[in-house]
Amino acid sequence: MILRFLIRIFPLVLLAGLWEIAPRIGWINPEALPPASAVAAAWYRLLMSGDLVYNGVSSLINVSAGLSLGIVVGIAAGVLMAWYPAVDAAVSPLMKSLYPMPKSALIPVMILWFGLGAGSKIASIFMGCLLPVVLSSYNGARGVEQTLIWSALGLGASRRRVLWEVIVPGALPEIMAGTRNALAISFILLVSSEFLVGQRGLGYLISFLGDGGVYDAMFAGVLTVSAIGFFADRIYLYFMQRTLRWRE
Amino acid sequence: MSEKSEKAGEYGLMALRVGSIVVVLGAWQLTAMAHVFSDFLLPSLSSVLLRLYHDLVTGDLIRGIELTLIRTFIGFAIAAAGGVAIGVAIARVPLARWFFDPLVSVGLPMPKVAFLPVFMLWFGVFDVSKVLMIGFSAIFPVIVEAWAGTQNIDKYMSWSALSLGVGKKRFLWEIALPAALPQVFTGLQVALPISLIVAIICEMQMGGQGLGGSIMTDMRFADSPGVFSGIVAIALVGMVLVKAMELLRRRLLVWHQETQSE
Amino acid sequence: MATGIQFSAVTHTYRPPRGKPVLALDGVSLEVKDREFLALLGPSGCGKSTLLYLLGGFLPVENGEISVGGKKVQGPGPDRGIVFQNFALFPWKTVRQNVLYGLEKQGVPRPERARRAQAMIELVHLNGFEDSYPSQLSGGMKQRVAIARTLAVEPQILLMDEPFGALDAQTRALMHEELLAIMRRAPKTVVFVTHDVREAVYLADRVAVMSARPGRIKEIVDTRLPGGTNPEVQQTPEFAQKVEHLWQLVRDEAIKAQAQATHG
Repeated sequence: MILRFLIRIFPLVLLAGLWEIAPRIGWINPEALPPASAVAAAWYRLLMSGDLVYNGVSSLINVSAGLSLGIVVGIAAGVLMAWYPAVDAAVSPLMKSLYPMPKSALIPVMILWFGLGAGSKIASIFMGCLLPVVLSSYNGARGVEQTLIWSALGLGASRRRVLWEVIVPGALPEIMAGTRNALAISFILLVSSEFLVGQRGLGYLISFLGDGGVYDAMFAGVLTVSAIGFFADRIYLYFMQRTLRWRE
Repeated sequence: MSEKSEKAGEYGLMALRVGSIVVVLGAWQLTAMAHVFSDFLLPSLSSVLLRLYHDLVTGDLIRGIELTLIRTFIGFAIAAAGGVAIGVAIARVPLARWFFDPLVSVGLPMPKVAFLPVFMLWFGVFDVSKVLMIGFSAIFPVIVEAWAGTQNIDKYMSWSALSLGVGKKRFLWEIALPAALPQVFTGLQVALPISLIVAIICEMQMGGQGLGGSIMTDMRFADSPGVFSGIVAIALVGMVLVKAMELLRRRLLVWHQETQSE
Repeated sequence: MATGIQFSAVTHTYRPPRGKPVLALDGVSLEVKDREFLALLGPSGCGKSTLLYLLGGFLPVENGEISVGGKKVQGPGPDRGIVFQNFALFPWKTVRQNVLYGLEKQGVPRPERARRAQAMIELVHLNGFEDSYPSQLSGGMKQRVAIARTLAVEPQILLMDEPFGALDAQTRALMHEELLAIMRRAPKTVVFVTHDVREAVYLADRVAVMSARPGRIKEIVDTRLPGGTNPEVQQTPEFAQKVEHLWQLVRDEAIKAQAQATHG
């Protein structure tokens, strides 16, 4: 089992090895790509100086806030739209027209409205996460088999109970898939907005280090953000699979 | 429900649909006119439309759209060609699969925009780095879909082709790729909006005109009709691209059962 | 040219990517005479389809030997045409293009392949649908396209893997008639896999009953009937007796197979 895992990740190990050797022997300009060990050392320094933690926490707070808001509002909106045709008719044209718009374009507006601090970042993330969650909640809710709904109604459940006890669990697989999507989008918007403005956050840190020419630390920052995004997805995937264990 | 009340219900819903957009636009204009928020925070709909018209006439809008679209398409082309090639290779060549599988698994959920400063360091602040960044971000979904599409073609259909005498070499072009096309195209449909999003982000970060760059400039000058009109322009471009892909899909995949059931 | 098929002690192990290998076929020996219609009858999982795929050359023969007309089977080929339950049509090609495909691969010159394709389409009564896509056709029509496509390259042997299993009972009955009509016009050796006893008795000259996994040949029963292959023969007492005989043979195997499905 372990052996299979090692074989699987071996190409990454190879690349890491290449990353270490190539800059050292001059295949690649070490200014442009510091060797892996130098980046690791820089990462350690960032950690010890507190910069990494300070900015990391700031980023995590922002992304969590934006994402949670987006999920809560998104599920509520999506499910209500699926259940009440009037809500659907009122809200879905707006959703449909906003869907193809790259939400990154909204960052400047959010900056105008909420300033240069956390508010604009949370707002941008919220806007980016909202639509995927609404869409998947909507599709998930609509996809719940009619026969299931009728059975519940036939057993005496009120319409509102059916909503909470049949529709939402039935829609859960798709909602979770949409949320996973939203998770990825939230990181993209977090990093982009932190690049553009602000005094805090991992995006800001990376940008700052890059402007200052401290490239080994900059790479350390880039990898940290990437790793956080990766592990967030993996953790979520594990959580999703456990929750949806009842699916075949 | 009687036919009459059904019809009435339908009209009611349609009215709500159209109505909601009208209401939002109307509310926008009225709120702005009533100065509920400052002109800075919420420029009036009319000022935004005016600004759009102005930019259209001076040619700024077209130029901006052109620049952004060129970058988007070149980056998209890189992602499409590279993604399909890699995805198909992963499905058919075990060595390619061994090498790329971990890279794709790790790379897919990462916020690839985080690498923007790296690309700037390596390739400068002009179009090359933008286009490569776009390609890098958009290639992942194409790989995943091309891989899945090629991997999952119906075994019995492949066997039928073999039985009818297709050679191994022609199999890829005649059977595997057409069979995988629906899923590959889905990957492309995901990659194009990503390409646009990343193009905008790159422009916002690196400047260089184009729609993203103009919005940032307007923001710095506190020119909020400029910012809002930029958003409208980008939204329209996004809509057109998505719609264009849908129409293209319908034409290319006219034989697909989804198209048939529409 | 002899097109007799010979299975000699064919043994096959199924090796799933994850999990333990499973013995699918255990020493199957069987002879199919030239121009004979042989049915392979057995419960789910007994390996009857596997035997067909080995004959078709889609799976490698690891143990034992399969030969056609004296020559060992080496891989897929147009001499052994195959029809699958899920039709396996090329969805991006029209009916005509599907039927033409084998002819193109065999290098048949253009005017002749157009003529032969058209003849096949007419044989299966699909005139008028030449330019339709499979997604526009019903199940029965799709299967007819599959048959036309396979017959177009004039295989000596026809392999059929539960071809009518995905069709409703009425369509299935009609397809039986069509298949028999086609066989009357151009007789071939047919190996036909099914789990439907009545279908096997009606269509086949002989029926080989297979045991539950691992598959072996339990018994071979002659099912030619005095009434020939008219539909009315299905109402005769002789037909009922054959069906009952075969059902008794299959019944125990089917029960065993059910138990296998739940316990693996």
